Parts: sequence; structure tokens; C-alpha cells
Amino acid sequence: MRALFNAVKTGFTEIWAHKTRSVLSFLAIAAGSVVFIDAFSAIFATYERIEKQKEVSGMARLKISQNYSQTYSSPDDYVPPPVITYEDVLRLREKLPGFYMVSPEGRDWRNVLEYGEHRVTTSVMGVTPEWTKRDFIYKLRGRFLDWHDVENKLRVCVLVKKAAPPPGNSFNKSMMKKYNFTGGFDTLVAHNDLLGKTVSIDGFTFTVIGILEELPYSRRPETMTGYSQEYKVLAPVTTLIHYNFIGSYQTLDVSIDTGSEQNFEESLRKINNFLKIRFGDGDFFIVENQLELIRERIAASMKSALVTISLGMLAFLAGGIGIMNVTLATVFARTREIGVRRAIGASRRDIMLQFIVEAVMLGLIGGVLGSALGYLWGVPVKVMLGMGGSPIKAWMPLVSVLIAAFTAFVFAIYPAWVAAGLKPADALRAE
Amino acid sequence: MSISCFELTKVYDGGKAGWPALRGLSFEIKMGEFVAVTGPSGCGKSTLLNIIGLLDEPTGGRYALNGRDVLTLSDRERSDTRRDEIGFIFQSFHLLNRLSSVENVGLPLMYAGADGAERKERAVALLRKVGLHGKEKKIPLELSGGERQRVAIARALANSPKLILADEPTGNLDSASSKEIMQLLVDLNAEGITVIMVTHDKELAARAGRNIRMRDGRIEQ
Ligand SMILES: Nc1ncnc2c1ncn2[C@@H]1O[C@H](COP(=O)(O)OP(=O)(O)OP(=O)(O)O)[C@@H](O)[C@H]1O
Ligand SMILES: [Mg+2]
Repeated sequence: MRALFNAVKTGFTEIWAHKTRSVLSFLAIAAGSVVFIDAFSAIFATYERIEKQKEVSGMARLKISQNYSQTYSSPDDYVPPPVITYEDVLRLREKLPGFYMVSPEGRDWRNVLEYGEHRVTTSVMGVTPEWTKRDFIYKLRGRFLDWHDVENKLRVCVLVKKAAPPPGNSFNKSMMKKYNFTGGFDTLVAHNDLLGKTVSIDGFTFTVIGILEELPYSRRPETMTGYSQEYKVLAPVTTLIHYNFIGSYQTLDVSIDTGSEQNFEESLRKINNFLKIRFGDGDFFIVENQLELIRERIAASMKSALVTISLGMLAFLAGGIGIMNVTLATVFARTREIGVRRAIGASRRDIMLQFIVEAVMLGLIGGVLGSALGYLWGVPVKVMLGMGGSPIKAWMPLVSVLIAAFTAFVFAIYPAWVAAGLKPADALRAE
Repeated sequence: MSISCFELTKVYDGGKAGWPALRGLSFEIKMGEFVAVTGPSGCGKSTLLNIIGLLDEPTGGRYALNGRDVLTLSDRERSDTRRDEIGFIFQSFHLLNRLSSVENVGLPLMYAGADGAERKERAVALLRKVGLHGKEKKIPLELSGGERQRVAIARALANSPKLILADEPTGNLDSASSKEIMQLLVDLNAEGITVIMVTHDKELAARAGRNIRMRDGRIEQ
């Protein structure tokens, strides 16, 4: 203990006596710390985002949709493929009560929405209250469609209000304007409070019962289902069928969350079974296994996070080699001193301890400095540069300091061993 | 402190093949003796002193310190022996330039596990003993050669050794300082400390109780 204390004291004197050399060596470690903290917070952010995405999207997702790539041997063989009707969805729901979500979606395109003298194009989507169970990334004003609306085929609707687009360059913006055919709709919803108002869609009046406000980009949770579905107007699927927005030839897509990853394969079989019994053997529908997709996305995120962290490790490695270099230089510069200390009674262990303690102290100082810089970089500077602050947790600098000290320790072992291995007589002859 | 060596040989790794630095030295030094080792440059005086002081190991032969075979000791034991039983004085002082006189003298005490206050008290007392009262805070660069060698002597005395090994302690000093340092060594010997001193100075050698004359790695009879 006393030996350690003495080594620390000697270490301080030495570090102080060789300020330039010390600064250089702990700068290397500090750089490692900065990169590491940045990498660590990036990993942590990825992890949090994945968790949030899992929560929003669910893991056990499936989607039934029409198989458009069906082939027919000759035009004469063509028969209109069967469609999934709302009744089919209800039956599926009844068969599989354990599922968390069975959400039918029927879309119409190029609808004309009128409000006062405004007249804009949009597209309506028929859904049920199930729709809100997953991928719900909005703030709701008013209320959403309920089962009463669906059962009674009420002409009510919910409008989606887009958030301001994320900052992009003017080229992007002009392209967006050019190709955004429903831009008029977004502007209309943005500038008029339509909640409770009556609008006309393709000539039918609908009451706006709710507004789904998209959160600003920075606060919007992401989904993992990979669909950048653009929702504009949501109405009860039954209403849209009743008023012929969705034709009788048109199939409903069904978004499903089986509720648990465990029985996923079984659930998949049940659904295929249901389709087979209902529609026979033809591959009229495809059941997209989104679980695989989601898993792939998570794996990809994790991989990129690992790349980042290995960058941090690499930075530490560089720092460690810096420390090794400096310690080795110190050993050679202080060979005579080592001899003197050995002559007056220092053992090999004492010498080894002295150099290791000195290096670890450099590592600690570098780690603390680097953590401070890493924090400055991760929070105020990044925010100032508009990169969004890193989620730095209190333990990250702590871990970083520990790793810095540990790296220094590991890389000091060899130089310290060299120092301790010098024969006293030889060391004393050095100049 | 008695020393007995038998057929000591030393061949340096980097040295000329077939030219051992020591070629079979046998001698005894009894407790309380003052021995001066003399001989031409390169005859192996420093080599011998290093081996006696456990700073180096002989290639062959036997060496017992106080009747104990010290060649088989572990590094720890050899280090402790150097610390507790042997004091070194070198021609070029070998003080640590960043440390003050007190700190230099306190260094062996540090390795012996003494705390700061203890170290300081003893170091101040030792500096007073070698006539450096008032120079405690000075670093080596602020001291004359003679004064530096006194600091080194005080340091050698820190853990009350029974043996002092001095390799040309006056080699870098003027004759006045040399005489003072010699007097200090004589006084220490009078206190019962065994002293072995390498020197080129015939006059100083004459003041030692016994002379060992060396030539080409052997003792001249
Ligand atoms: N580390 C070493 N490696 C190789 N040869 C050495 C080493 N140390 C000493 N020698 C050689 O061993 C021989 C004895 O050297 P040593 O230093 O013991 O002589 P010395 O009697 O002390 O001489 P001086 O009076 O000049 O100090 C010399 O030939 C020297 O060159
Ligand atoms: Mg010599």
C-alpha cells in the first residue's frame, strides 16, 4: 500500500517534470476516450431506437396481400382472383382470437377532397380501430375511428397532418414540391383546423372526427416494418366499401401482429391454413413474414453499432500504443535512475510498479480529459453543428476512464517489464 | 560484515571473448576492515565492487556475505540486502537530479517502508552528520561536487548499513574535498562499518587499513 502511495507520488513528480511528454501521451488516450464515448453513445442510441421500434412495430408481424405475380398459362385461363373481403377479415379474427392485431387496410387512390373553396387530391384508406395498435407514430387530436363507426358504416374520417419536413437543401425541397401531388392536401390540413368540420370526398360528405398529427422528425418514433406508407385520410373500411371507394374486385390487405415471437411459425401456419380453406390451392395471396425483416434490420443496426465501437477500441489501441511508446522512452531516458533506485534497494517489483503506476496515471488523466472533451463534443458541439446531441449517460465517461486506465495498464506492462529487467550494474553505467 | 570470495570470475556478454574481467579472485574481508582496492584502469575493480554489492552476478565462483551464499538469493532478497546492509558511493554521485538533498537521502528509507515524516527526520539528521546542515532543500545542481558526494554518503547511510562500497568516491573531486570525504569514510569505519573503496589515489589508499592490488582481473600478490 505504502509502495503504491510512493509510486503515485513519484509518478506525479515525473509527470509534472515532463509536461510535454506527458501531455502528448495522455492526449492520445484522450482522443481514444472521445471516440469511445461517441461510439458508446451511438450504440446506446441504436439500442434505444431498436427497443422503441420494437415497441411501436411489434416483432411478430405478418402481412397478407395480393400475389400480383401469379402467372397464367394462357389469357383464356384467366379468372379474376378471389379477394379478401371485410367478412373474411372478421372470420380470420374469430378463428385467431389470440392475435394482438388483425388490421384490414383497403386503399383508394386519387380522391378529391373539398372543403369550402379548397379542392385537393388525396387518397383515402379504409381501416378499423385495430389500425392504431401498431406503427402508431402520431399525436391524436379528437378521436380515432371506433367500432361503432365501422359497424354502422358512418361517414367519418381522420386526417393526417404532416410535420414540417426535416431541414434539407433547396433542391430537395423543390423536388418535393414537384413530385408531391398531394401537397395541396398537406397544406390544407396544416393551415385549417378541420377537426369537427365536414369535408366532401368524391362527392360524399365526411365528418372529420380526429386529426393525427405527425411528430417532428426528431421526436418521431421509427417503425421497423419498412413501409413508408403515406396516410392521408383514414375512414372506416366498411364505409369505403359501402360507398364503393373500395370495389368488390379489390382485396383488403391484412396487417397482423400475432402477439408473440414464440408461436410465430405456428401462427403463420394457421393463417396459411385459413387462406387455403377459404380460397383453395392457388397462390392468390402472399403472407409476408415481417419478423424476418425486422430481425434483419436489428442485426444490421447492431452491426453498424459494432463497427462504431470497434472504432472506439481502435482509438484506445492507438492511445495505448502511444502510452507504451512514451513509457518505453521514459524507461530509456531514466535508465541511470533505475540503476540508482535498484542500488539503494528497489526491487524489480518496485521498478515495475513505478512505471505502471505512472502510465496508469497518464491513462486516468487522459481518460478524464477525454471524457470531458467527449461530453463537450457529444452534447453542446454536436447540437451546435445540428447533428443532434448524443445520449451520453453518466456511466459512459466512467467506463471510458476505466478503459483508458486499463489500456494504459496493459500497454505499460511491457515497458515496465523491460525497466525491471535491467541489471542494476548495467543501468548504472547508462548515461 | 564479513565477505569471502572464492575463485570469482566474470565474463561480460558484450566483452571480448577470452578476456574475462575477473579471472579467479579469492579473498576475505573481515568485519570492520577498511580495504582500498587499487590497480590500473580496466583491471576489474568496478566489476568486483558491483559483484560484492549485488549489483551484478559473477560468471563463476562463490561469494558469501556474512557466511551466507548470496548468489542463490531471489531478486527480492538481494534488493533487500542492498537496501538494508549495503551503502553505495559512486564517483559520479548518482543522485536523482529532480530531488532535493533530503529527498535523495530519504529514498532508501522509502523503499524500506518509512513514512514521510520519519524519512525527513532521519534524512535531516544524516545531512547534519555529513556537514550539510542548511542545504536540505537544495537540489544536486545547486551543490558543489564535494557537497553532492556528502549527500550521496548520507544516502548510503540511510538504512544504517554495515558495509559501504565506494567506487572512486573522490575521482571527481579536488584534493581538499577528497580529503574531507576520505575523513568521513574513516570516521564511518571507526563506527564499525566495513568500508571497501576503489581508488587511484595512492595517498588515500595508504590511509586504508589494507590494500588489495589488482591487475588483469587478478589480485596481485
Ligand atoms: N558491461 C560491460 N560489458 C562488457 N565489458 C565490460 C562491461 N563492464 C566492464 N567491462 C570490461 O571489463 C573490464 C573491467 O572493467 P571495470 O569497469 O571493472 O574496470 P575498472 O578496474 O573499474 O576500471 P576503471 O579504473 O577505469 O574504472 C574492462 O576491460 C571493461 O572494458
Ligand atoms: Mg571502475
